[in-house]
Amino acid sequence: MTEDAALLSCCGLRKTFGKDAGLVRAVDGVDLDVAAGETVAIMGPSGCGKSTLLHLLGGLDRPSGGEVRLAGSRVDQMSERALARLRQDSVGFVFQAFHLMDELTAVENVELPALLAGRPARVARQRATGLIERVGLSERAGFLPAQLSGGQRQRVAIARALAGEPLVILADEPTGNLDSAATLEVLRLFESLHTAGQTLVVVTHDSRIAATADRLISMRDGTFIDETRLTGGTRGDPGALGALADLDRRS
Amino acid sequence: MSRLRLVGRLVARDLRRRPAQAALMLLAITAATATLTLGLVLHGVTSQPYQQTRAATRGPDELAYLGSPPAVGLRSGSVGPASGTKLVKQVRSQVAALDRAPGVTAASGPFPLAGALVRANGLTAGAEAEGRDEAPASVDQPKLTAGSWVRPGGVVLERTFAAGLGVGAGDRITLNGRPFTVAGIAVTAANPPYPNLCYYSGGGCRAGPPDPGSARDIGLLWLTKPDTLALATPDNPVTTYVVDLKLKDPATADAFALPYDKNFGPPEMISWTGIAAADGLLVQDEQQVLSPGAWLAALLAIASVAVLAGGRMTERTRRVGLLKAVGASPGLVTATLMAENLVLALAAASVGLVAGWLAAPLLTSPGAALVGTPGAPSLTVPIAGLVLAVALAVALAATLVPAIRAARGSTVSALADAPRPPRRRPRLLAMSRGLPVPLLLGLRLVARRPRRAVLGAVNVAVTMAGVVAVLTFHATAGQQINGGGSGLSDPVYNRDEQVLLVLTIILLTLAALNAVVTAWTTMLDTRHLAALARALGATPRNVAAGLTAAQLLPAVPGVLLGIPLGIGLFAAADHGGLITLPPAWWLAAAVLATLAAVAGLAAVPARVGARRPTAEILQAETA
Amino acid sequence: MQQEVVLALLAKEPSHGYQLRARLRQALGPIGDQMNAGQVYVTLTRLEKAGLVASEPSAGLPDRPDRKVYELTPAGQQRVADWLAEVSWPGPAPAEFHLKLVAAAAARLADPLTIVDAQRREVLLRLRDAQRAAMAEPDGSEAGLLLEGLVLRLQADVHWLEACERHWTSRRD
Repeated sequence: MTEDAALLSCCGLRKTFGKDAGLVRAVDGVDLDVAAGETVAIMGPSGCGKSTLLHLLGGLDRPSGGEVRLAGSRVDQMSERALARLRQDSVGFVFQAFHLMDELTAVENVELPALLAGRPARVARQRATGLIERVGLSERAGFLPAQLSGGQRQRVAIARALAGEPLVILADEPTGNLDSAATLEVLRLFESLHTAGQTLVVVTHDSRIAATADRLISMRDGTFIDETRLTGGTRGDPGALGALADLDRRS
Repeated sequence: MSRLRLVGRLVARDLRRRPAQAALMLLAITAATATLTLGLVLHGVTSQPYQQTRAATRGPDELAYLGSPPAVGLRSGSVGPASGTKLVKQVRSQVAALDRAPGVTAASGPFPLAGALVRANGLTAGAEAEGRDEAPASVDQPKLTAGSWVRPGGVVLERTFAAGLGVGAGDRITLNGRPFTVAGIAVTAANPPYPNLCYYSGGGCRAGPPDPGSARDIGLLWLTKPDTLALATPDNPVTTYVVDLKLKDPATADAFALPYDKNFGPPEMISWTGIAAADGLLVQDEQQVLSPGAWLAALLAIASVAVLAGGRMTERTRRVGLLKAVGASPGLVTATLMAENLVLALAAASVGLVAGWLAAPLLTSPGAALVGTPGAPSLTVPIAGLVLAVALAVALAATLVPAIRAARGSTVSALADAPRPPRRRPRLLAMSRGLPVPLLLGLRLVARRPRRAVLGAVNVAVTMAGVVAVLTFHATAGQQINGGGSGLSDPVYNRDEQVLLVLTIILLTLAALNAVVTAWTTMLDTRHLAALARALGATPRNVAAGLTAAQLLPAVPGVLLGIPLGIGLFAAADHGGLITLPPAWWLAAAVLATLAAVAGLAAVPARVGARRPTAEILQAETA
Repeated sequence: MQQEVVLALLAKEPSHGYQLRARLRQALGPIGDQMNAGQVYVTLTRLEKAGLVASEPSAGLPDRPDRKVYELTPAGQQRVADWLAEVSWPGPAPAEFHLKLVAAAAARLADPLTIVDAQRREVLLRLRDAQRAAMAEPDGSEAGLLLEGLVLRLQADVHWLEACERHWTSRRD
């Protein structure tokens, strides 16, 4: 993949915390290229720096070294104001803890980014309603988060991340707080986003989410140690599935 | 015993972990208790200085004004007062009656009184001139504080009057157009000091000022008898002589009276207790100003502590859960939570007590009029007890309810550390949608914690009330002074101004403290919200503006409420006297200044809060 | 007993029969105890017949399988190398995969991590297929239930492969 084709890329990215004896290299020299429409999954044990990496990619944190580029512009050198605009229309975030506002209904949560960006209230509401429908929660648009299940809450959060029509969605352990049924809901949504061409970078330790990615990157101790292409394989091969079903392992 | 030690250790560790908050609470309670102590101590101050002056000047127990009957608002030229030989005959007869009167042990006088128009230092003032012998009198010999006693061409001025005119011994002044030299300055116990000379005689004076004007502004001076008589003009003759009496039993001074004489009316009698009361007017005024001020300060301190303690309570919920999970009883938990605040309150109250007691003499010095200083106003046990009790009550009131609720709540939810989710307020939410971003954020922040907003409004209202009361005082007193027309500085006004200044400074400090505390706690509370807003694309400037707006929005009704509150406060303190409302532009300036101060004080924590990296905040906490 | 496993165990150095058995017991733990004692020797004999191992009686000891010294022939070495490199589906049984890694590490013939990663990729690809098939089914369908079961088992495999990766990484460091 050439440099120009990459929608989101970073080069020699580093982030350190503390100093002297307490120095922690959270991210230690990471290179990454994400093409438009690609889904990239980053997996690794806890503490390996994958969440920090995501924050750096999305401009929520400033790197100690290296550069981050989104659609050609340097994210790591942007002013706070420019970063705010970045989050308004280029980057959407999905968090493990959802971070929905408890006193706002689902649709009010989704329209919040648009209101914060100064868009007119009616336009914001219209777009929010459309997004709620997109994630399949139209009947629950007027519900408070406390009245929604975990999976539904995360879907609302994903709808909120889509509010600004972002170039890329960054998801930090989106199914970390969800049970398997809720994980399925989010899974479906990610698949449909992928099919619609949304660029996605997901940090996860859930192999089910990782399995939806085009590329899977393993991370440990702040660096990438392995990259796997998950394209190709046995799509549509009936024999393979049959072999799966016969999964009686000889012991 | 071990439990006590455990509680003590927990309290000590907590205080060390958050020294800034502890210091803020200490400051707030100290300021409040100091002001309270001041107010209470001054309440009980005695009029000792008058006693000292009385002793030093051989002050009279009774003053008898012979000659014209007591004249209320007597002015020159009106029919009635005797003068000339007729007056002399009347005076002689009344003096004889006084000498014979039972209970009189000594007398000096009669001294003639004349009205004089004083011009000095470019100022003009009315004065009462008393004619004296060069030799000292046996009763009421004014004590010189500078220069020497009367001589031909030499005038002695009463000390406050001289201070008002700005003259000292050796200066040249004119009386009724004639030049005199200031021979000396003296104090006396026989008359209240300038400007209260006419207070006790119903507003009128025995020697009417040549310049019809206000009932204040009359000073006292002494001349030789010939000089005094020479001051009299056909328009303003000498109509009164004064005799100073010493009684066998000074306590009966109020009841002393001469038997009825069919030839002349009874002379006007003034007892020394009346003069003492007039003397005390100065300190009384201060008390009038201080008492409401002290309560205002106490109110503000309570608001501060409530915000501080309330803020810390929510942080402490997890500690409560932990303690209960390891087996502490609800009682022990409550005790731990409250012990800290009580310890702080006690420490602060002690400091405040001492500070107030030390500051009291500064405000009770009697001014120029009297000799000596009052003894240190007594810090009685009841006062100390009351102040300590108030401090403890403040700490208790602010922390008891949250502490009990925390202790009795569910352990699980406390450990989960979920603060109460804010109630949904659909109308405010709907209202905020169309507003610009800072107002949108500000309104939603207010909707989340309405009680804190109300507290903020109360804080601003109380502060504004104090400021408006001061402004009303200036307007009212200024009107009175200006009505007098002499341009002299009024020592009562000066002293009141001083006290008010001190009070205003205390109030403003407390209010600023309150505002900073509220803004800081709000910033901590909303840190997560602010980080989320920034993660969703709000600019840091909008977020900071929103936090500031959240403080300003409740401040507006507070400021407006404070205006009538302040005027009412002054009216109550003035005991229904005539008040002049401050001009509108003063009030407008005060409103704008207060709002600007609130915005300014809120902006600092807002800026600081908006600058922290969003990533760590979002990871650390949940909404 | 899988033949390749025994071959791989011999790759490090020639061993006695009983040493091989001991090695297996150490690697397999209680599962190994359940093995029939004679299984190893049967396999060794077969391998010898196939020309993949050669044996020599140790000096002075009777000519019994457990006392003989076995070593790999060149053909045997080739077979081991092929086996280590191959990634097939369906993958090997857990015990066999485990021994593969143990042997590879012991003989330094291959990096266990490479083997793990290759296997993980395969499992993830199958997981993806099964997941897609499961989600394509309507809610509550019986076929969907079976597919969901497959997905979960594959997910469990991934978990174990991740654990293997952690283990062999720390062993390497």
